[in-house]
Amino acid sequence: MKVSHNELQGLCRKAFLGMGFEEGDAADAADMVAWMQCLDLGGLAALSRGLDYLLAESSDALPSVLYQDGDLAVLDGHGCSVLRSSSLALELGFAKARARGLAVIKIRHCHNRQLIMGYLARLAGRGMNVTAFWRNAHEPLTEQVVGFRANHTVPEIRIYTVADVPEENEPNDGITLVMANHVDLLPAMRSNYRYDLLARHEESDLLACRDRAYLEGIEVDDTLWERLKALATRMLVEATDDSRQGAGAGTHDND
Amino acid sequence: MTELRHPTIDSPALRPAATVMDLERLGSLHASRLSFVRSLVRQMARQRWQISRVRFDLDAQGYGVAIYRLQTPHGRYHGVIFSQYLDAARRSDRVIADAWDVTFGVVEGDVDEALLEQMARNVPLQEAGRQHPRVLVLSRANRSLRNFAQFVEALSAGAQPDPAWLTRVGYLYRTTAVYGNGKFGIADFMRLRDNPDFRRPFSAQMLAVYLLRHFSIDQVEHIAHCRAPEAAVPLARELSRYLGIGNSTGLGMAPFLINHPQLIQQWVYCRERALALALSQRPEEADRRRLIVLTRRAMTHLAQTLTEDAEQSARNAATVAALPAVIAWLEEMPLEADLWRQLADWSASSLSLEAQELINTLLIELYPLLVDPLEDEMGAEESLELTPDMPLVRLRQLIETHFDWALAEDFTSPEARYWFWYRSVEKEEPRLGVRGVEPGADKELALAIAPLVSEAHEALCAFLADNPRALVVDFLIARPRYKAIVRRTQTMAQTPYGEIRANLWHRDMKPMYLLRTKLSFFGASRFDPKSDRWVRITLFQGAPLVDELNAEPHDLAAFDDWSFPLEPAGRQSEGHREAVGGER
Repeated sequence: MKVSHNELQGLCRKAFLGMGFEEGDAADAADMVAWMQCLDLGGLAALSRGLDYLLAESSDALPSVLYQDGDLAVLDGHGCSVLRSSSLALELGFAKARARGLAVIKIRHCHNRQLIMGYLARLAGRGMNVTAFWRNAHEPLTEQVVGFRANHTVPEIRIYTVADVPEENEPNDGITLVMANHVDLLPAMRSNYRYDLLARHEESDLLACRDRAYLEGIEVDDTLWERLKALATRMLVEATDDSRQGAGAGTHDND
Repeated sequence: MTELRHPTIDSPALRPAATVMDLERLGSLHASRLSFVRSLVRQMARQRWQISRVRFDLDAQGYGVAIYRLQTPHGRYHGVIFSQYLDAARRSDRVIADAWDVTFGVVEGDVDEALLEQMARNVPLQEAGRQHPRVLVLSRANRSLRNFAQFVEALSAGAQPDPAWLTRVGYLYRTTAVYGNGKFGIADFMRLRDNPDFRRPFSAQMLAVYLLRHFSIDQVEHIAHCRAPEAAVPLARELSRYLGIGNSTGLGMAPFLINHPQLIQQWVYCRERALALALSQRPEEADRRRLIVLTRRAMTHLAQTLTEDAEQSARNAATVAALPAVIAWLEEMPLEADLWRQLADWSASSLSLEAQELINTLLIELYPLLVDPLEDEMGAEESLELTPDMPLVRLRQLIETHFDWALAEDFTSPEARYWFWYRSVEKEEPRLGVRGVEPGADKELALAIAPLVSEAHEALCAFLADNPRALVVDFLIARPRYKAIVRRTQTMAQTPYGEIRANLWHRDMKPMYLLRTKLSFFGASRFDPKSDRWVRITLFQGAPLVDELNAEPHDLAAFDDWSFPLEPAGRQSEGHREAVGGER
């Protein structure tokens, strides 16, 4: 079925509230999903893949700072979805970049990393150049680089496989971010090592996707939509005769 | 035609937020020339919008489909209206209703048979349907049964209805929801952002209501004609103009006001700038005479505003009783350069809030060239943003300066935490419950900003004691639950008027004031409360008719002069227009 952007954002926010997200986290997570879906980057598919994890994870497992100095911070995401755990880590990077010109943030142990792009768009909208880098899997080993120009609402994205697989087997569940006040940090493929480009999203392609979404609506999977609606109803209160009085309507509608 | 160019606006001193954003004062506002219905009518006339009827397939009872075309210099739109029989048992103004007398939508572009078929399947279902992304506005309305029956009876007998009926209830139809911005699959407001016709807030919704008003006249004339083809007469022009569209609304409006503080800031800021501009003008004698005329008209209008609600009746009566003294004051005072400022000072010390705000509305009315450019500034890019690198001590100062009204409340008092807001499982209708008595407080909506600010302030003061050099982001990493309220306070501290200064938990809080705040910006008149949280109002009463718009009026000032409409003088037979059923 087709839905509007506002409808998608609104239902996601209510569903996240139903999952126990705090008000601000629910709004941010909804923005992240809707932003990505609107650009045809699979925001709902990413949410769907991570939904069971989200429902199982503890709302108390908040990211903690392992190390920080003036322009560098390393945080532990405790295996949580970026939907719940990334926004303040990114804000920390933003604050450091504002103060020092450039900052590097590493979030270890997080999942649903695709969805972080929506919050990066928000930082870019506040005048920050942002690049994110992460590795997806070992077989094949893929890397994704997402770069936003300051004040641009959509990024440049490159996804590619690399041939030279390292021998160490640390899980690829972290994300590295670089933020700079004054310098573009866009991905440009330039390498002496072999790679195969899987996807290349230019800003202009993504803007065209967004225009199309506003014109034609956004396609969503019916089953996932129903699941989100069911989660959203967790925040609704059962009706009683007393509660109907609480709406304050009159007893008859004739005039 | 070329639109008027306006002089550049300077900004004279504005009233303080502590005065303007007080909930009782906001709940005393009247529609003004910056209200959305007024702006839309001016825009339609300036830009020579044309409305025509392209389909009118109604049976003798008025059931069927009607389509109206709107042509603007920039685009074409269609209002598609489905009228059906409604069983009395299903007639309800509540959002929980599932059937209505008419349902309708405004479509961007043309309506072919496929789209019409899709709309016919979905628009009558409203929330339960899946609406097309080219639909800009979705709405529904129920008849005023008494007015409808009386109008059909009178017109089919060759007579005009008694104008007093429209003074009691100023419409044939009242809407119970007018949806925009992506609801149930319709177009997002973002899509209209670059549309010169409907980029102003709620302008597409107001157009939908205006088209329904036109349809209501067409339909009642059609039914009368079907009943008595030889005898029926059209509705007289003065009565047609005196006919508006009702709206019935409840607590559903309240979340919007709280969840869109940047938009509310812009609405109030524009109104306050308009008032400040008016107050800074040196009046001429003609201005004084005009203000007296407007005051007399408003006085009669309010005297003709009937409501069974005792409190609103008393407020109207107090305003009407005060206005002769205002007129006397205006007639007696010397015409000094700061006369308007003197008037404002005198009214602030002598009159009720409703009377004060009425005078402000009328002062704004005097200066269209200065005020009207502000209507293009009523929109806002909405985004509450964190400033993570702000020193926490600075945030504390901001809260203590800009949210002192929230910190002043004692939230340990049972009175101060009496109500909670929630959404019912019944169509997500917003409701109020008594904390500790009714179930649902664990699912409370975060609409009461004051207690959230107060709690965050207490937490950050404690954090500051241990971390005096902390930044906002340091505090939030330690206490992430305050992220939403911190970014709201940081954002809203940058502008004066976004936050409504009231504790929405308090036992004495009056939800009606919230509803009236929003409705006054829409341009509502005849506030008729049905309880402390449910109100009926009228839109477009007195507004120019479609044929007057289509005639491309030359005197735009006269066309725009329809505020505070008065009951037409008693007349039963003269002034009949052309035969019923023709293109209007």
